[in-house]
Amino acid sequence: MQDETTKALENLSAAIKNGLEDEAEKYTRQAIESGIRPLDIVKNVLVPTLAQVGQRFQNFEIFLPELMLAGEAGERVTAILEEETLKAGQPSFTVGTVVIGQVAGDLHDIGRNIVTTMLKSNGYKVIDLGHDVPDIEFVKSAEKEKADIVALSALMTTTLPAQQRTIHLFEELGKRARYRIIVGGGAVSAEWAETIHADGYASDAAGAVELCNHLMKKQPHPHE
Amino acid sequence: MRHTTRLMEVIQRSLSGPIMDEEVFNNRHITGGIARVVKEYDIRIDKERIINQDDDLADRVFQAAIDFLASCGVYCQSTNRVILYSQEEIKSILRTAPAQVRLGAGTDEVLEVARKVEDPRRPLLMGSPIGSPIEEEFFIPSMISYIQEPEVDATMAPTLGTIYGFEVRTRSPLEIMAAWREAELTLEALRRAGRPGMPITGLGMSFSDVGQLSADNPGGLRSTDLHTFGVISELKTNFEILNKLTHILYRDGIVDPYANPIYGGLGGGMEGQAVLIAAAMIALNVVFMATCVGSSPTHPFYFNDTHKELILPTSLAFQALARNTSLMTNLTISPVGGPLTKTLLYECTAYTIMCTVSGCSRILGPRSATGAIAGHFSGLEARFTGEVMSAACHLDRGKAEEIAQRAYEKYAPDLIKQPYGKHFREVYDLKTIQPVDAWLKMYEEVKNEVASWGLTFES
Repeated sequence: MQDETTKALENLSAAIKNGLEDEAEKYTRQAIESGIRPLDIVKNVLVPTLAQVGQRFQNFEIFLPELMLAGEAGERVTAILEEETLKAGQPSFTVGTVVIGQVAGDLHDIGRNIVTTMLKSNGYKVIDLGHDVPDIEFVKSAEKEKADIVALSALMTTTLPAQQRTIHLFEELGKRARYRIIVGGGAVSAEWAETIHADGYASDAAGAVELCNHLMKKQPHPHE
Repeated sequence: MRHTTRLMEVIQRSLSGPIMDEEVFNNRHITGGIARVVKEYDIRIDKERIINQDDDLADRVFQAAIDFLASCGVYCQSTNRVILYSQEEIKSILRTAPAQVRLGAGTDEVLEVARKVEDPRRPLLMGSPIGSPIEEEFFIPSMISYIQEPEVDATMAPTLGTIYGFEVRTRSPLEIMAAWREAELTLEALRRAGRPGMPITGLGMSFSDVGQLSADNPGGLRSTDLHTFGVISELKTNFEILNKLTHILYRDGIVDPYANPIYGGLGGGMEGQAVLIAAAMIALNVVFMATCVGSSPTHPFYFNDTHKELILPTSLAFQALARNTSLMTNLTISPVGGPLTKTLLYECTAYTIMCTVSGCSRILGPRSATGAIAGHFSGLEARFTGEVMSAACHLDRGKAEEIAQRAYEKYAPDLIKQPYGKHFREVYDLKTIQPVDAWLKMYEEVKNEVASWGLTFES
């Protein structure tokens, strides 16, 4: 029995790594049926597996398509485990909610997709607003989703002011203290993040996950 | 207007092509399509190199790019439709691509030509920080630092964060004012440097079609200038981009678009990246009627193009184009290093040599410090780039590889440290607009070192 359980977890890890959603679902259900607690599956399989996948992407051993497939498999597993947890009356194990988007005037997608996939892989609920997002939409979405973190991406130097403007808008509306606002993207530097009083800056996707984890630990959920 | 029939055809195809979700286009058309042709055309790269040495591989990349583009198409986000051209149509349009174009006016006019691999003819240098941010007070002096360099043939403005002290807002009247301000200041810098007819491009701060098109008019960008716009990665467009194209064609401007495939993204690794870059350049000519086609393939974490993962596939893709088309191609150097760092000069050495021997028609930049830090650029690195470029015209790919490898060894370990260097005001005397001694000395040291590796400078 022990061997079967171990095997199921190994298979689950392999299915996630290979981006095989249906197989990942099958092994997740097998693991649950064999009595493993959803939270243990998250801690012992899902998070370390996706961390490995993320590291392989950082090392260019795999590329965005493989990363996204693994992320999607991870999302399917997360959804099943979340459902089981809530069914059992346990609290959600979602790490936090992030509203992310490319600021107004910026049409790029790929870098943000990488960050989104990595965050989802690490247990975050991510609301991706897409590209060229008007300042006010960040505020509206953060409010609607009760977000913990708002992530503003800018790949072009011409769109940097929109990050600053969006932070000002949160301030102007009296909502700045409710959210941790982070910035990233090719045009962004740590100095710029400091200048516009962002709560953090990450230079790459792995750094964004670390930053979010750090910010989530730093203080309790502002909506609680 | 030139190309009326072709423009109508593009617009009609954007309105009537296969309708598709963007995610399906990304996954099936781009990722699936690249994976298919990489396998079918047996694209395998020797990852130890920096510059491609294999002509047969370059030709297979070209064939793969045509096959891929014909099956993939270009996605129009405004209509959710795919603009498709058959292989026969693509080849037919490529056959009519112009092989040379005159840029600029008067005594500052220059001729851009389609070059071949190891072509001894000198490429053009668009010496410029390529849209890097700059404070208003340093706009003109920093531009003059490029324009005054004899090696510089054309230029492009940096990006103003503010105009008259006010932050620029996309799709607002401020964007139109900013576009005009940039054009005015650039033309003023040309005049002050004594090269009024030098070809320029710019309006980089204008995101929207209205912003760009405002100053792309008499009094602003001239018909003898390059009219530049970017397409969206990977292989995407929208009506704003097509609006810009339409206006440029009506103005009889020189169409000079760019596409910047992201390494490790939808195209995957080096092999896929090479095919994707080549396909994107072909698409710029076929769909966007480009006179000149350009790229600055981008690193997903450092946003530069001087990592080996970027240089090698770029070299392969541009050799594929140089061997099989008459396209005039250009590449932007986006180093991590900034002024007063040797890293910047070593990066410029490797990338410039690669561009020159791989058949590139025009080199842009350097966009020092990846264009991310306000004012971290200067004309001296353009001088250095121009000198390396002229010297590299006499290299074959074997020798080019040897020198580029030596430069790469010097800078590769430093990239992670992001040595962004100093601001323009710290590396140039603002009264004389000449480099300060420390920067000049460093430039001379590196130039001597590169010369000792076998690159013969003209002076």
